[in-house]
Amino acid sequence: MSFRLNGVEIEDTFAEGFGMWGTRIIITAKNRKWANTAAAEMSGFATSVIACDCEAGVEREIPPEETPDGRPGTSVMVFGFSKKRLATPMLNRIGQCVLTCPTTAIFNGIPEEQADDMLDVGASLRFFGDGYQVKMRMGDGWLQRQRFWRIPVMEGEFLAEAKFGAVRAVAGGNFLVMGATEDATLEASERSIDAIHTVPGVVTPFPGGLCRSGSKVGSKYAFLRASTNTPFCPAIKNTFPESQVPDGANSVIEVVLNGLDEPSVKRAMGAGIRAAVQVPGVLKITAVNFGGKLGKFQMGLKDSLGVE
Amino acid sequence: MKELTLTPIKKPDIPVEAEVISPDKVAGKNLDQVKKLPVYVGNTRLSLGDYFKVEGETAEKASEQAIIVAGDAGKVKYIGTGMTGGRVLVEGCSGMHVGAQMEGGELIVTGSASDWAGAEMKGGLLRIHGDAGSQLGAAYRGSPEGMTGGCIVIGGSAGPEAGSFMRRGMIVVKGDVGPFAGVHMNGGEIFVFGRAARRMGAEAKGNGGFIACMGEIEALLPTYVHDTTYTPSFMRLYMRRLRDQLGLEEAGEFIDAPFRRYRGDAAVGGNAEILVADKQ
Repeated sequence: MSFRLNGVEIEDTFAEGFGMWGTRIIITAKNRKWANTAAAEMSGFATSVIACDCEAGVEREIPPEETPDGRPGTSVMVFGFSKKRLATPMLNRIGQCVLTCPTTAIFNGIPEEQADDMLDVGASLRFFGDGYQVKMRMGDGWLQRQRFWRIPVMEGEFLAEAKFGAVRAVAGGNFLVMGATEDATLEASERSIDAIHTVPGVVTPFPGGLCRSGSKVGSKYAFLRASTNTPFCPAIKNTFPESQVPDGANSVIEVVLNGLDEPSVKRAMGAGIRAAVQVPGVLKITAVNFGGKLGKFQMGLKDSLGVE
Repeated sequence: MKELTLTPIKKPDIPVEAEVISPDKVAGKNLDQVKKLPVYVGNTRLSLGDYFKVEGETAEKASEQAIIVAGDAGKVKYIGTGMTGGRVLVEGCSGMHVGAQMEGGELIVTGSASDWAGAEMKGGLLRIHGDAGSQLGAAYRGSPEGMTGGCIVIGGSAGPEAGSFMRRGMIVVKGDVGPFAGVHMNGGEIFVFGRAARRMGAEAKGNGGFIACMGEIEALLPTYVHDTTYTPSFMRLYMRRLRDQLGLEEAGEFIDAPFRRYRGDAAVGGNAEILVADKQ
């Protein structure tokens, strides 16, 4: 079953998403260069929990008037399969990628009233101060109470909010862009990413937001728990017996996204697909799932697009 | 919010102790009951109605009660003591202990306040447009902790021992502070935009506590050690909060200002900080 959008076939299927814990960290710095540098470092090597300690991505750049300290900011979102598997990579990445980056400070991006739990990352992060860290309290008894740690560093002082809000989030939102040529497929996928990043609360953890290999559970090798998504590889479409590459398609790219909640992921998927189908040469859009057996969330492409 | 207006009808010769001028004491009572609330003049028990004309409405809950003291209350002590919510506005001066041990709500004095304003305050906002006397937000004698929360903003100057034994919370003085500001402080923040007199931070232990001086300092104790001059990120947060949430426009000038950082009081092995804005 399928339907058409701007002449492009959209398969009536769903992306199978998984429940994860997610958080948002706001990194500020003296200027945009250093805020983005720290954000890029922090979200590096965090494409998939298949082989990374977490999944992470840059959500957006934040103008100075919206950040807590009035400096340019960048928000990074991090996802892990449990609170502990979220807090540990957060601590490591803040410690190695942000604390070390000149002029940065970090702030919680999910207020306590919106969070399902609070992760006390500062309780461990503070030890970097080797006893000279200073606990900073704000708002006691008259405003919302906030806690920070001030950690002396050679360049000056690293300011870190102590607790970060975590929510039960959604990972694994996806769709596949299938095109007649590599150029058309790449351009459509790039446009998807631009559209997705207009939706708050969503990140695309893969390089540039795109996963060209795809992935499937398991492989013919016992030691490998995941492998390239062979049914969607055009290079072997006529030799791989269960190939799902349609006639005329010569390139497939997967757009993968995680979000703080299911509606945000679906909204972003819809925005991405609508952008992709505008590019000539795009033949079909579909999504990856496991028949609904593994993931908690089934995000239909129809539903994402608001199509009845 | 329901408003109750108390208009002074006679000027007492000696101070009136009127801790009943609090949303917590007034809420849930009718006007007759409010008039009969006890006040003390020396060792004599009198009624609130003997000194104030009582008009307006009372609310069921303290958080919905506003009290306006429509006139000078310079000889009325304990206004708003221990209040947990609501609002009190004193249109003029207030006597000693205004807002002492208050836990919530907002208390505004448009004139000046006498000694012990906000003493041992736990929460809420106390704003005095004029000057404050000595022991602003301080611990009562023998008590190990002064302020443990809340915010005090003084539009004028404050006397000696502001914030003594402070544990948490914030004191902001737009004018000068007297000697021994932050004596024995063990947490909390004191901001002084005017001149800070000598011996501030004496025997302060630290625990994240600091005194930020944006104006002149008379002298620093020798037991405070100069570490560095830098632009601390955390000060940016405070200055923005002072400007945007408390309306102190002058704080905006110090958002990106360098500060000299002193650490002490070494006399007690403390790690409190005194941060002095570095004039360029």
